[in-house]
This record gives sequence, structure tokens and C-alpha cells, in this order.
Amino acid sequence: MRRSTAAVLGTLTGVAMIAGVRMTVPTQIVPVAEDAPADAPADAPADDDAAPADQGGAAPAGDEDEGGDGGGAASDTGLTDGTFKGTGAKNAYGTIQVTITVKGGKITAADATYPTAGNSATINPAAIKKLNASALKAENGDDVDAVSGATFTTGSYRESLQSALDKAKV
Amino acid sequence: MRHVEQVMGTAVSIELADDRPDEELRALVADVCGWLHEVDARFSTYKEDSEVSRLRRGELTYADSHPDLQHVLGACADLWRATDGYFDAYAGGTIDPSGYVKGWSVEVASARLAAAGCHTHYIGAGGDIRARGDRVWRVGVRHPWQADKVAWKLAVTDGAVATSGTYERGGHVINPRTGRPATFLRSVTVVGPDLTLADVHATTALAMESEALSYLEKLTAEGYESAAVTEDGQAFTTPDLPVVA
Repeated sequence: MRRSTAAVLGTLTGVAMIAGVRMTVPTQIVPVAEDAPADAPADAPADDDAAPADQGGAAPAGDEDEGGDGGGAASDTGLTDGTFKGTGAKNAYGTIQVTITVKGGKITAADATYPTAGNSATINPAAIKKLNASALKAENGDDVDAVSGATFTTGSYRESLQSALDKAKV
Repeated sequence: MRHVEQVMGTAVSIELADDRPDEELRALVADVCGWLHEVDARFSTYKEDSEVSRLRRGELTYADSHPDLQHVLGACADLWRATDGYFDAYAGGTIDPSGYVKGWSVEVASARLAAAGCHTHYIGAGGDIRARGDRVWRVGVRHPWQADKVAWKLAVTDGAVATSGTYERGGHVINPRTGRPATFLRSVTVVGPDLTLADVHATTALAMESEALSYLEKLTAEGYESAAVTEDGQAFTTPDLPVVA
């Protein structure tokens, strides 16, 4: 039981670290992690590690705590029942938010939501400064030796400019 | 001498421009084609009896695989690390080194031609180009929406031009951070000394989506210039892209 909780925590910590999420899960989680057995799975936090919430850059207890819509009593695991959301981390693809659900003092669900809207993200301005931005031109390619493009299939080759060049020169 | 070979699921255009007897040039073309078919037979994910297919089914171990396959697997692992996981031969759930093999096999083919004394040539494999010689090769970059137009014309004397894009085969490049097909860029073209790396850089940049422009900018320090077109039609080029009129 405790072991599986540790595994979930480990996974959650992994998600948080990958996503760079600033976890604001209440620090009641800490005692669970520290009680994890020494032979816990490799991805579970070790005893001498910082608490998983800390690894994700946790705020101090109570600080920026957005979660806790359940608000149940703390159990002997130290976890308060409810659903807790991280504040969400913004990266190039949008906002990633981690949510955990605690029932009966156990984490029963851990999930991360990813942006679905695609790439509305802005382009790194520092990169743009060093690159030349321009309008796309469309020129005739009858004076080139070869054409570079996305890999065509043997079927789409027949319709390609490269094919026309090959026919003209063979 | 020009030749077009259907191999590796695409068309490979070969032009040998050295002034040598036809029979010698024909033999050199045959050597290149033989090599590309050998690569296809070993690495194809579509052929049931390829080494890659046997490796996938667990019928072949790394230790028993051909040195070329060992090389490719090692290179893919190195590149996965070097690109923070963006160049991922396992993105589809099982090993698929195709993103490395085409550029690498053409780079090797071009080196074989040069070693055989054929110094002026180009090989274009499905849109990835390796050119050499004492002349300037004009390489058009396909317009990402208009198949019969080019967006840039590049001058290459000894170097490679590789393009990755979504317009031929849809979203076939996965962004490993999202697990979904990369859609931010319509096409990325990378120009540099080595086709293996130019191809890898183009594929990696496509997978990176909006992070790609920073990546492409950094590559200029290694001698790789580039042009990228976003899905909404913005074009970005590095300052030293060898564009000609």
C-alpha cells in the first residue's frame, strides 16, 4: 500500500520534473515520501532526497495553494483528501498542469494536462533577432540543378519539380 | 550522366559530372545503386526480412547485427542524447532508424564516389541532397505549399542540403515532448558540410516546433545554415544561408 503510494509519488515527481511544474501540492505529502521503504522502486524518492514536492520546486506549506477542493481531514498518512492542482508550468507548447487526487489519505489519481490548442506559443524573441524573417517567395525552379524538399514517395516524385528536372537532363 | 533509381521508398537522382568514359560512369552509378539497395534491404521497416525488422521481432541481437546497423543504432543513441531527446528513433514506440539512414547512406555513397575519383557529382534522395565538385550546384528549396515552385535557391559546391517537412507525408515527425505530430513548422531546410547531420538537424528542428529557431541559430556555429517556414507562412533564415538569385 505504502509502497504503491511511493511509486505514484515517484511517477508524479517524474512528471513534475519533466514538465518543470512548480508544484503547489500541500507539503503534507512529505511524510509519506520520507516513510517510503528503503527498497522502494528506483523512481520513488529516496529517504535522504528532498521531498518530492521540493524537487518540483514546491512552495512552502499553504503558499499559493490553489488546490484542495475536497478539504477533507488529514489522514494518518498526512495527506488531506481532495483534488490538488499545480499552478501549471508554461513552456513553448502551452501550459502543463499536474493534478493529484487524494482519497482516504492515499493518492488515487495523478494526471497532467497538456495544451491541446497546438502551437499558439510565441517564438523565442531572442532567436528571431538573430534570424532573418521574411515573406515567403515563390520562384520558378527551372534554373536549378536539384530540389531539396520533404521526402517524397515514389508516387509523389512523378509530380515533383525534381522529376521534371531529371526528365529534362537525362 | 544522370540516373534515377527507385529505392528506399523514394526516388534517388544521381548526376555524375566528371569528364570520364560513359562505361566508367555507368559502373559508378551501379555501385551507388547497389549500396543504396543494400542499405534498404538491411534497414527497411517495410521489409519483413530486413535486419531492422528482425531486430524488432527479437530474432536478431545487437551483437549479431551487421556493423552498419550497429553503427546506426549507436549514432541514433548519441543523437538522442545530444538533442535532449528530440531526435528519437523510438518515437513511434519501436526502433525506426529511418530518420538517420537516408542521409547517412547518401553521405556514404557520395564519399564512395569521391574515393573512386568521381569528384563532381550530386545525389538527391527524396529531397535530401549531397553535392560535390569544382562547380557550383544550384539547389532549389521546394516551396512548402506550391510543389512546382522554389522558395530559395542555394549555391552549394561541396556540401549537403536536407529538408524535413510536413507537406509530403503529413505529420510523420513526432514531438517527443507532446507525443503528437509536430505541426508548428511546415518545413525546415538545413545546409552544411555533411548530409547525415544536415538531415538529422532538419528532422530534429521539425520535432522541436517553436523551440526550433533557437536550435537552428545555435547550429550556425557548427557550420549549418538553415531556412524554416512556419505553418502560418512565416519564413526565417540564418544570416549566412547561401542564397543566390
